Amino acid sequence: MKNRILIFVLAAAALVAPALAQTTQLPLPPQVEKELAARASNVTEVTLGKNMLGFAAKFMNGKDKDEAATRQLIQGLDGIYVREYTFDKEGQFSTEEVEQLRKHFETSEWSSLVRERDRKSGETTDVMVKLVNGETHGMFILEAAPKELTIVLILGPVRMEDLGKLKGIGGLGALGDVQKSVHKDKKGGN
Amino acid sequence: MEDFEQELREAFARRPAPPSLKRKLMEKRRAQRRPRPAVVWQRLAAVLALAAVLGGAMEWRHQEEERRKGEAAREQVLTALRITSHALDQVNTRLAAHDREQE
Repeated sequence: MKNRILIFVLAAAALVAPALAQTTQLPLPPQVEKELAARASNVTEVTLGKNMLGFAAKFMNGKDKDEAATRQLIQGLDGIYVREYTFDKEGQFSTEEVEQLRKHFETSEWSSLVRERDRKSGETTDVMVKLVNGETHGMFILEAAPKELTIVLILGPVRMEDLGKLKGIGGLGALGDVQKSVHKDKKGGN
Repeated sequence: MEDFEQELREAFARRPAPPSLKRKLMEKRRAQRRPRPAVVWQRLAAVLALAAVLGGAMEWRHQEEERRKGEAAREQVLTALRITSHALDQVNTRLAAHDREQE
């Protein structure tokens, strides 16, 4: 009887664990995340897995143009993970930590779209995209300022044409402008 | 006086109950206990109405909870997009500044 209960509990845990893991974990080094959160004075964490995004999409107002576009965008995504850390003082996170986060995406799947280092201000910017058969299937933004660190990870098919529609709600429309700037820079030979 | 006593004695004398008395009493009691059809329907209707009210209240509560969770999820999506937009705006600003420096 005890064995049956144990098997039942293990089976239930096996069923529940992937769902929990999908919705609660940022696919980044958890230790770095924990340490940054401990030192920050203000932390904003948003973790939305595929199921949660699908659920949230149902509550987007279909009559509102921006929300309808947001719904269209998020319905196909696998996850949105956002971490925004604000620090009281400068130097509360190291460049090594930023590098550690960035290196996590230095794989053949991810390509760097923007890589900017300002030595004077100490600000760094990375925008990376995951390309699958020429299509964007993920986006990683790592923005580090002396007192602020922002990590954005969007997983799943990101349609650029959908992003452009999101300017009204302060969404991802700015990516279109970033792409334009990047293309301009490349044409200019930088 | 003796006659009166005799009458009293006869009146109080123990006599066995007729054999059908117990059966008759039991039948009468059973008939009294059995609810009338109208009462049965009333009770059934009351139970159904109570079940409907309870079911409706539970469903309403569930839907309210779902709506609350959905609104929270929607807010989280909008927050995530706002932060993303802010980060991308900063990327844009830096790229524009970089362009200006090079010009």
